[in-house]
Order: sequence, then structure tokens, then C-alpha cells
Amino acid sequence: MAWLNQISPKSCRSLAQSRWMKLLIIEDENSLRRSIAAYFDQEGFLCEQAGSYGEGVQKAEGFQYDCIILDINLPGGSGLQLLDYLRKDKKTEGIIIISARDAVEDRITGLDLGADDYLTKPFHLSELFARVKALIRRKYAAGNNILEFEKLKLDLSLKTLTYNSEQVSLTKNEFEVLLFLLTNKNRVVSRQAIAEHIYGEQTDNLASFDFVYSHIKNIKRKLKEKGAGELLQAVYGLGYKISI
Amino acid sequence: MSKTLQQKNTRYLLTWLPIVLLIGSGLFFLILTGHADHMQEKQLELKQQNIWKAFTVSGESMPMKIEGEYALQKMTAASEQIKPKPIATDSGYTILSKQYLLNGQTYVLTTFVTSKEYTHLLIKVFATEIIIFILILVTIIVVNRSSSRRLWRPFYETLHATGNYDVVQSPAFKLPPETGIIEFDQLNKELSLLIGNVNKAYNSQKQFVENASHEIQTPLAIIRSKLDLLINEKGLTEGTALLLSDITQANDRLSQMNKSLLLLAKIDNNQFPEMEQVNVSLLLNDLIANYEALYDNFPATELKIQEEVYIHANPSLIEALFSNLIKNAVVHNNPGGYIKVFLKKGECMIENSGQNISTDPQTLFERFHKGNAASKTTGLGLSLVKQIAQLYGMKTDYSYLNDIHSFRLSF
Repeated sequence: MAWLNQISPKSCRSLAQSRWMKLLIIEDENSLRRSIAAYFDQEGFLCEQAGSYGEGVQKAEGFQYDCIILDINLPGGSGLQLLDYLRKDKKTEGIIIISARDAVEDRITGLDLGADDYLTKPFHLSELFARVKALIRRKYAAGNNILEFEKLKLDLSLKTLTYNSEQVSLTKNEFEVLLFLLTNKNRVVSRQAIAEHIYGEQTDNLASFDFVYSHIKNIKRKLKEKGAGELLQAVYGLGYKISI
Repeated sequence: MSKTLQQKNTRYLLTWLPIVLLIGSGLFFLILTGHADHMQEKQLELKQQNIWKAFTVSGESMPMKIEGEYALQKMTAASEQIKPKPIATDSGYTILSKQYLLNGQTYVLTTFVTSKEYTHLLIKVFATEIIIFILILVTIIVVNRSSSRRLWRPFYETLHATGNYDVVQSPAFKLPPETGIIEFDQLNKELSLLIGNVNKAYNSQKQFVENASHEIQTPLAIIRSKLDLLINEKGLTEGTALLLSDITQANDRLSQMNKSLLLLAKIDNNQFPEMEQVNVSLLLNDLIANYEALYDNFPATELKIQEEVYIHANPSLIEALFSNLIKNAVVHNNPGGYIKVFLKKGECMIENSGQNISTDPQTLFERFHKGNAASKTTGLGLSLVKQIAQLYGMKTDYSYLNDIHSFRLSF
């Protein structure tokens, strides 16, 4: 999306229906950090990267971000220390911890120190993206819980969907699947990512993705009944994609 | 057949001591009768001497016969020669006859001693000996038993301590270094050393599994993120998509296995100290409802779940336990099969229809064991169940009969 860089911020805002989101990724694993940056770049985020505790502090202090993605194990210090430091410094950015440690205590410690969310490695980039989007929505779009994509309108607090102002009744899980796909619109989202998004850690125990398929089938059918076109596409057995 | 040291020892003593004592008694009897015969002969000879002396002095005025003492007879020439040997007669006497010559006349002098007293004495002495021998036998066995009990006590203490040792449950192992017996001191020392090494090896293995699982998380996360990017590349063909799909599945299975291993290692390392009263009735209902939503052709269920059944344990672990049991019943079911779940206080039973398994049911609980080689499971689910059950002292039981698998959990 290099062409976007040549467009003035004002036109970008109208294009993305909001201002440019700034993201700081503090993660010592180069390869993983680059993946995250690439994914968010494609979604029109401005990504800054830091590979160590010191670099993280420096970048977090120098600029204002919308969201910080923070790894716990960092060279030069722990991500939790960094989190504590930022919160004491009255930094109010949304912070999502990504960590290989999945013990409940780690999660609680992180959230107690003021993190907004906690994601365990390995995660799907689509999941991280959805978490960041949800966080930004919570933090900056206070009161506005309506998401609109063309004729689709999702009310996030009531969990209802209308198409062309017509009510489409979805189950809770179908709603979540649709929201997840819409958040990652124009991208292929893997079946595994959808499964994990809906059932969280428990998906580890699943040997079947039947339910993803049946949710998608139901959503497709319900949208079709209201006259929506083929919004949802299956991509070669890899996953699904909503193109708008 | 194995017997205790004491039983063995007593048995040896009871076999060999009586034999030795019997031979001893026989010898004793022979020697005793030998001595007694000798004494009798001497007595008879002494009597002969005295009587013959008296006869030579007083001549025929002396009575020729006194019953039970002696008898003198004149011998005719035709009389045969007699041997001077003591002979036992039927009348209760032992006699000795000798020939003497006085004034050209040959006399036969026979002396008598009673053999009744002699037999009585023999019997009495022999009976006393038997009583003493039995006393010795009993004393030896009793003393031996009590002394061996005392001697072997440190050994039994060591045995007991070793029996209670468990590398997972109770790795603390303490043996007294001083027992007062060099062999047992040495045994305790060697055992302590051995078990110290076992603990060390087990701990480093636990640590290794946990560290390895942690380290594997990051590359797994990288692969997963790259796959997420890759499936969004432009110009994806169906062929590459299929490859990517396979890679994604393999990678997910790897992550899943790794997470299970990490969980196992954490249980081993006692990293779930928080305990609370977990409502199993609610948990089971929730889990089954969740799984029903996850699978298209979920087996028919029959639930008999008593309300308000609690287990005092870590909630995440209890959830993992029941989740794995139910998942197991779903995944290894037949198409159109069923699941029955019974829960009451202290017991939960999960029954499902399913195909025959050829392996020993106990091996199902081992890590990486799979009942069905083709199934895309990690082979860690039931070993997790076992580990968690063990942690909280619950009992797991598996049985298979007529295409029905049933798991029973007693808590």
C-alpha cells in the first residue's frame, strides 16, 4: 500500500473513515515483529517497532500511540516492568500483552498492572488485529457501538445485525464470526483463527472445525435471504473472506 | 513361593534342628546303654569275686543258692564249657556264669542283678534328655525370632520408607544414616544416593520439558504469523492453498501438543496451587453444551447429572480433565453413536459407543499413546486426565465391553 503514503493525512482519514492509527510493537523476536507490522501495515496502521526494553521505553515516551503491543520477555527488562513504568508515567495508550506464558497468574498480573488485553503465543494475526480494533473501539469510540459496512450494520452492544435496515437474526456465535470476519475484511481468515476466536483456548481440544463451517453456512443463508450477495467466500479450504 | 525372612529362618531351624537333635538323641542312647551295660557287667563280676571268695572260705556250709543273688552248681565232666558273658533272662535278671575249680571239683557260679531298675533308669535318663532337647529347640527358635526381628528392624524401616517413596507424589526421602548395623547403614546410604539421583533426573527432565515447550512457543508463533500473511498473498493458486492448509493443520497440531506438554510439565511442577470448590455439575453441563455446538454430528447424549457436586481442586485443571474426557468420548465415537454421562457425589462415569481397541486399556493413559493411529489427536489427552486425577488422589478406571467404552472417575 505504498501509494497511500503519498496521500495527505486528510484524504486518508476520509478513506479509512478515521484518522491513521499509530501502533507500537515491542517484541524481541524480529521475525514475529515484522509479521505483525506487515499485517497492520496492510490494514493502514502506522507501525513503529522496538526490539528491546530500552528501545521500547524510548519510543513509548517520545510519541503518542493508539495502541502498544507488548511482549513480556524482552532483552533489558520485562514487558511487565515496562507496562508498570508507562502507567506510572500516566501513559494511557491501549496496551495488549503478547506472551508465551499462559499461566492465569501472568494474565492477572498483566491486567492488574494496567494492560487492556492479554494474548498467548502462538496467536493468529487476525486475532491480534481484532483485539487491537476492539480495544481502539472501546477506548476512542465511546458510546458509538455501531459498525457499518456498506449495507451491513452491526450493533456491538445489542449484538444485532441489520442488512438494508432489515433485521437479520443471528446466534451469538454467528454474530461473533461475522464481526471477526468483518474486522478482518478483504483478508483470508483461517478456519483455525475463527475457531480460536469463538472458543478461545478450548479450541486446543478440537479435532474438528465442523462448527466453523456450519456457522458460515448459516450466516451465508441468512444474508442471502435478505438479498445480500455473495459477501462471504471460502478460500480453497484455507479459510473465509469477506470482500467489501 | 516367597516367604518372610523370619518364616524362612524358622523353617530352616525347624527342619535342621530336630534332625540334629534326633541324631544326637540316638547317639546319646547308644552311649548311655553302652555305659550301663558296662556298669552291669562290672557289678556282676564284683559279685562273683565276693561270693567265690566267701565260698572258698566257708565251703559247703554256705547256701548254694540265694534267689536274685547267686547260684552255685557242681559241674559234671560232661557239662559243656560256658562263656563268661552277661545274659538277660526272661525273669527280669541279668546273669553272669563262670566256672571255678576248687579241690578238683568244677563249680559254675551264676550271679544275678536285676535288669528292671536298669531299664527304668535308662528310660528316665533318656526321657529327661528328650525334654531338654525340646526345650533347647523351642528356646533356639524363640530367641532366633526375636533377635532377628530386632536385627532386621532397620531393614524393614528402610523397606517401608522406600515403599512410600514416589518420584511424582512424595519425592522427599529420608533414611536414618545410623542404624547400628554397618550393612544397613551402607544400604541406607546407597539408597539415599540412588533416590537423590532419581529425583535429580526427574526434576531436570521436568525442567527440560517445560523449558523446551516454552522455547518452542516462539517459533510456533512465528510460523503461524507467517502462514497468516501467506494465505493473504495475491496470486494464491489452489495447489499452494492446499499445501498451506496442510502446513497450517500440522502447525496447529504441534502447537496443541506443545500446550498439552507444557500443561503436563506445569502439573508436575506443582504450578497450580490455587484450589477452590469447583461445581462439577455446572461444569459438565457447560462443557457438553459447548461440545454440542462444536460438532455437526454430535452423538446422542444421555445425562444423569446430580446437582451441586463439588470437587476441591484447581478450576482450570478440573475443566481440562472433564473437557478431555468428554472430547475423548466424542472423537472416538461411532457415527450415530451415543454418550452417557453420570455424575453423583464422589463418582463420575462417561460412557460412549465406539470401536474396539486392540491395546491394553492401561496404556491409553500413557503419553503419546493412541488407540487409533490414524486419529489426528495429540495422544496426550488421557495422560493429562491421569496426571490431574493423580494430583488430587482421584481414581481412574477404564473398561471396554461390547463396543462400549466407559471411564469411571472416583473422587
